[in-house]
Amino acid sequence: MLQYSIRRLLYIIPVLLGVCFIVFFLFNVVATDPAAQQLGKHATASSIVELRKELGLDRSYFVQYLDIVKSAFTFDFGRSWSSHQKISDILMNKAGASLSLTIPAFIISMFLGISLSLFVAFYRGRLIDYATMLICIAMMSISYLVYIIVFQYVLAYEWGLFEVSGYESGFPAFIPYVALPILISVVTSLGPDIRFFRTIMLDEIYQDYVRTARAKGLSEKVILFKHVLRNALVPIITYIIIQLPFLILGALLLESFFDIPGLGGELLRALNSSDFPVIKAFTVLTAIAYMVFSLVTDIFYALADPRIKLQ
Amino acid sequence: MKNLIFILVLSIFSCTKNSSTSSTAGAAAGGEKVLNLVVTADVKGFDPNQASDLYAGNEVARVYEGLLQFHYLKRPYQLEPNLADGMPTVGDGGLSYTFKLKKGVMFHDDACFPNGKGRELTAEDIAYSIKRMGDPKEQSKGWWLIEGKIAGLDDWRKNGNSDYTKEIAGIKVIDKHTIKFTLSRPFPQFLYAFAMPFTYAVAKEAVTKYGKEFVNHPVGTGPFITGKYNQGNQIVYTKNPNYRTVTYPSEGESGDSAKGFLKAAGQKLPLVDKIVVKIMKEEQTRWLNFLKGNLDAMGIPTEQFTNVMVPGKGLSDKFKKMGVMERKSVGLDVTYTAFNHEHELFKNNVKLRQAMSLAQDRDMVNKKFYQGISIPAQSITPPNIAGHIDGFVGQYQNLNIVKAKELLSEAGFPEGKGLPEITLHYTYNTKSRQIAEVFQQNMSKIGVKIKPVGVTWPELMKVVNTKQSMMFSMAWGADYPDAENFLQLLYSKNSAPGANGSNYSDPEYDAMFVKASMMEDSPERTALYEKMYKYVSEKVPWILGFHRVGYGLSHGWFKNYKFTEFNHGVAKYYDIDNAAKGELKTKL
Repeated sequence: MLQYSIRRLLYIIPVLLGVCFIVFFLFNVVATDPAAQQLGKHATASSIVELRKELGLDRSYFVQYLDIVKSAFTFDFGRSWSSHQKISDILMNKAGASLSLTIPAFIISMFLGISLSLFVAFYRGRLIDYATMLICIAMMSISYLVYIIVFQYVLAYEWGLFEVSGYESGFPAFIPYVALPILISVVTSLGPDIRFFRTIMLDEIYQDYVRTARAKGLSEKVILFKHVLRNALVPIITYIIIQLPFLILGALLLESFFDIPGLGGELLRALNSSDFPVIKAFTVLTAIAYMVFSLVTDIFYALADPRIKLQ
Repeated sequence: MKNLIFILVLSIFSCTKNSSTSSTAGAAAGGEKVLNLVVTADVKGFDPNQASDLYAGNEVARVYEGLLQFHYLKRPYQLEPNLADGMPTVGDGGLSYTFKLKKGVMFHDDACFPNGKGRELTAEDIAYSIKRMGDPKEQSKGWWLIEGKIAGLDDWRKNGNSDYTKEIAGIKVIDKHTIKFTLSRPFPQFLYAFAMPFTYAVAKEAVTKYGKEFVNHPVGTGPFITGKYNQGNQIVYTKNPNYRTVTYPSEGESGDSAKGFLKAAGQKLPLVDKIVVKIMKEEQTRWLNFLKGNLDAMGIPTEQFTNVMVPGKGLSDKFKKMGVMERKSVGLDVTYTAFNHEHELFKNNVKLRQAMSLAQDRDMVNKKFYQGISIPAQSITPPNIAGHIDGFVGQYQNLNIVKAKELLSEAGFPEGKGLPEITLHYTYNTKSRQIAEVFQQNMSKIGVKIKPVGVTWPELMKVVNTKQSMMFSMAWGADYPDAENFLQLLYSKNSAPGANGSNYSDPEYDAMFVKASMMEDSPERTALYEKMYKYVSEKVPWILGFHRVGYGLSHGWFKNYKFTEFNHGVAKYYDIDNAAKGELKTKL
C-alpha cells in the first residue's frame, strides 16, 4: 500500500503541471488585461504599461508560467493584487470561518442522511418510504437561494430565533452566527443525500448474501447494521471524502448572505475584481486537495473492504 | 476518518482566534455612542495611495486626513482647511501654493514610532506623501490627479529610483510647518486634490516598517483609530483620544437649522465613541439588519422602493411610525451613450447624432430603471455645481420621433436606409443589458439598427481605448465639484486612451475649454461654463442619460446625517442619540 501511495503522490506532479498550464493559459494568455481593470476610469496608456510591469505581466510567457509552477510547489502564492495581503494569510484567516460553517453542516447532514436512509431502507416499499422520497424530491425542487432568503427572513428576522447575520471568531462565540446557515445547509442537502444513500442501501439489500443471512434467521436490524451498512461503505466513503476538499472552499451564497468572512466570499471577491493571484491559488490548491483526497478515498476502500487490494 | 475530522476541527479553532475583531456593536453600554454603518463591497485596505474607490476612500478618511476638506454643511461645495492652518496663499500668477500646517497635530500611537508614541505631523510628511503618489514603485491610483502638474515631479517619477531625498522643484519644505507647491502650468482645480484621500498625510515610519503590509496598518492623524486590518466582515474604530480640538461647524446652507444640522454647533469632534462598519454585500442582509436597528442607515433596496416611498409624498406611514428618516441624494454624475467621433459615420454628422438623441425615450428609461426619480441630463454638467443651468431644456434631449425622423433623413439616411448596424458596447450586468435593449428598441423606431454587445469592464476599456467601439455606454462621477472635471471629457487632447473616450474633437469647444481651464473660479468662468453647457446640448457629442438620484434611509437616533457627494471624513460629524435609540428601537 505504501508503494501504491507513493506512486499516486508522484502522479500529482504531472497533473499539477497541467493544472498550472491551464491556469496560466486562462489568466495570463486569454484573459483581458487586469491592469486596465485595476486602474479604472483614470487608466492611461502609460499607467497601464507601468502597472503591467509592476505586476510582472511584461515578462515572457515562459517566465510567467514558471512563476505559477513555482508557487504551486512552494505554496507561496504571493500577494493579492487588490488587498496586498499575503495569500497564505488570507487563507489562514478565512479558512476558520468557512470550516466553522461547513464542517458541522457536513457532519450533521451525513449523520442524518445515513440514518434516515437506513430507516427508509428498512421500511422500503411502505408508505413511510414513499412519503420520505416525495418530501425529498419536493425539497430538492426548491432553489437554494429561496431557502436562504425565506429562512433568513422568517426564522431570523420575523421570529428572531437566530442572528440575521454576522460572525464572531473563536469557539463558542461563532455558534449563534453559524446556527442558521448550518440549518439551511443541512435542510438543502438532506434531499439528495437520503436518496443517494437509500439507493446504495437498497442495492445491497437485494444481494444474495442478504438472502442467505435472512435464511440463517438473522434479525433485520443485524442484517442492516452489520452487513448491509458495512458493504455499502465503499460508495459512501467516496461520496464523503470527495466532498471534503470543497468544505474548505466554504459556502459561497451562505457566507455572502450571512456575512461570514470565509473563503467562499473571498473567492467571489477575487473573481469580481480580477485578483488573479488569489484565483490561481484557489484553483491550484483545490486541484491538489482533490488529488490527495481521492488517494485517501482509495486507501479507505482497502480498509473498508478487504477484497480491494491497492497495487 | 476520526483523526481527519479532529484535525479539521482543530484547525477551525486555531485559525479563528486571530481572525476578525469581535464586537458587541449594538449594545450601547454605559452611554457609549456607537455608530453602525454598512458598506456594500469589500474594502481594499487603508493605503491612501490606493483609495481609488468610494469604499476604500471612506475608510481611509476616518483614520487619515488631508490638508483641506469640504465644508460639511455649506453648498455649493466649498473647500476649508483641515490639517492646513488656513487656506494656502496663491502666488506667481496661480503657479504656487503655500500651505501653513496646524501645529501640534499628532499621528496615532503606533509601534512604528519610537516608544510607540505618535509624533507631530510636519511639512516633511506632506512632501513625503505627495512624492509617494509619484513613486512608480507604489503604483498610486491617484497619480492622474497630479500628473503633469507639479514642477519636477514627473521627471522624478521617470527617473524611477524612488529617491525621496532628492529635491523636487515643485515641492519645497520651507520650515517645519510650511510647504510650498509650484505648478508647471496653472491649474485652478489643484486645491481639490488636497481634499481627496490620495493626498492624505502618511508617516514615513509606518510605510517603511510595514512595507507591503502598510495597506493593512492604518496610522494617521484622524479622529478615529483602528487596529490591523484583516479583511474581515467588519471594521471597528474607536475615538482618537489625542485628537486636536476641532468643533462642529456653526454655519450651513439655508434650511440646515430647521433640519437640525446645526444643533451640534461648537461641540468638540468626533461626536461618537466608536464606529462599527459592517461589510454586507447582500441587499436582503442589509435591509433586515436595518429594520432590526442593527444598522443606522442604508440606501433603499430597489425591490423595496415602492414599499418604502409613496410617489410624490415621501416615506410611507409604516416607516414614519418607526421614526425612519429619508435622505435624497443627487449624484454629481452623468450617464451617457457615447459616439466614437473617429468613426466615419458619426464624424461631423451632427444631424445623425441629434436624430438618435431625439429618439431615445429617457422618461421610459427613468421609470423602468431609476424609479422615475433620476434627472434626465440636458447637458454634461450635473446639478449643484457652477456651470449647470437649472431648468434648461435641451433641444435634442427630449423624445420627438417626428423631428428625429426628419433629421435622420436630412443626414442622408431616410427611414434609416443606408445606415449600417451600429454596435453598442456596454459593461455587462442585468440592468445594463436591459437598458441597452431599451435603447435598441427606441432606435429601431426611427429605423436605426443597434447591436448591443455586453463586455467586462476591462474589455470595454480596451475597445474604447483602442477606438474600436462605434458606441459605448458609460458614466462619469465627479472627482471634485468643478464643471472642468466633466467638460474635460470632450476636450480633444484627452482623446482615447484619455478620458475623452468618444474622441470628440471640435476646435470651437477646445478653445472654450482651454480658456476656462486657466481661469480661477469667477462669474466670468461660470458664464463660460454655462456657454459650454448649452454648446454640448446642441452638438450632441453623446446621447445623454441621467444625473442619478437616490434615496437613503436612517433611523431617528442618527443625527447630523446630511447628504454630501464628498463624504470623506464626515463620520466625525455624525452623532447617535442613545436615549432616542432606546425608545425608537421598541417601535421597530
